[in-house]
Amino acid sequence: MSKDLVQKWYEHLPNQERELPLILLDGIVYTPTTAYNEVMRDSPVGIRLQALIEQGKFGTSTEDEQAIAKTRLEQWLSTQPDKPLFATLSNKVFTPSQLLEEIQSGTPIGEQWKNNEINHMRNLMHLR
Amino acid sequence: MPALENTFLFAEPLKHYLEYASVVLHQIVEANKHSGQTIIELIGDDATPDNALKQLQNTNPIVFSMTGHGNETTTSLECTAVLVNTESPQLSLLKGRVVSLVSCLTAQQLGPAIIDAGATAYLGYKENFWFFIGDAAGTTRAVQSPFLAAFQFEASLLQGKSVADARKDQLAKYDEEIAYWMSGAGKNDVNSMELSRILEMNKAVSVFLGEGYITPSPGPTVLTAGANSIPFALAGVLLGIAIYREIVA
Repeated sequence: MSKDLVQKWYEHLPNQERELPLILLDGIVYTPTTAYNEVMRDSPVGIRLQALIEQGKFGTSTEDEQAIAKTRLEQWLSTQPDKPLFATLSNKVFTPSQLLEEIQSGTPIGEQWKNNEINHMRNLMHLR
Repeated sequence: MPALENTFLFAEPLKHYLEYASVVLHQIVEANKHSGQTIIELIGDDATPDNALKQLQNTNPIVFSMTGHGNETTTSLECTAVLVNTESPQLSLLKGRVVSLVSCLTAQQLGPAIIDAGATAYLGYKENFWFFIGDAAGTTRAVQSPFLAAFQFEASLLQGKSVADARKDQLAKYDEEIAYWMSGAGKNDVNSMELSRILEMNKAVSVFLGEGYITPSPGPTVLTAGANSIPFALAGVLLGIAIYREIVA
């Protein structure tokens, strides 16, 4: 077990991703920054978080993954400027708040973003 | 009559935000085309269904590539005018061709119908294809990135690669663009969150059907560096001899 790996992982993450919820442990969701701080101060929970980071796991059930993905998208999109930013080649245009509505209403478009967010979380966990 | 090698038809509509795609496709065509290839680009108001179908008939291209708004059964060109749907008799015009539709959802029904109609290969998307419109079309990497990945297929075909290799290159370009926004130079860009997700989604829903063994433009590099450059090479040698004689004399 090496803190270097956690440090490298944390440094590779985009700054904005560091503050979004990512890892679930004992019912508590940690952002990369809070997880990193726990690991660096050798707390009991930090040791367990380090093991999850080394294995590239965020330690959740499918239900938890969906919930975290939704929270991440809500947290991110709610801070974006409310102007058209997203478009599709089915002739649809969305502001962040409109996209957020799709996600919260569980439309097919919202589900596409939520399911992708779970893959995105996996990709983030495997950054080295 | 078999489709003509080295002949490419591109449809590049501009309205309804399609300039974001078409500007990139046009740049890719310009950067990768070679002498010996016949390139037809229908741009903006010329990108009508009528024109596209006429060009398919008259020029008989081996590659037909377009962007446009689509759904499960249909794809469209300028002003969302329908080009073909799953029931169109005009699907037969796609027989023997490599067809690339950068358009939403067509891989669900239209793509298989295109293959059933005899197309050699089809490349498209089974869910929504997303792109970023926070900046003007063609002005930043953020607005170009989804299309740089999607149209790598066309870039590689123009370079003379097989359909299978062009598809591999496209998937690799998706990975390269995702890495740029997630862990590369663009990771702390103000739009990195949007772009990494958009690219991940587009890659995940990209679909290839059909055969990969065909090379639509075999040997474009040979054509450029070979036949066309022989007169220039000979002229260079003769000029060199003349200069040498002048110096010696």
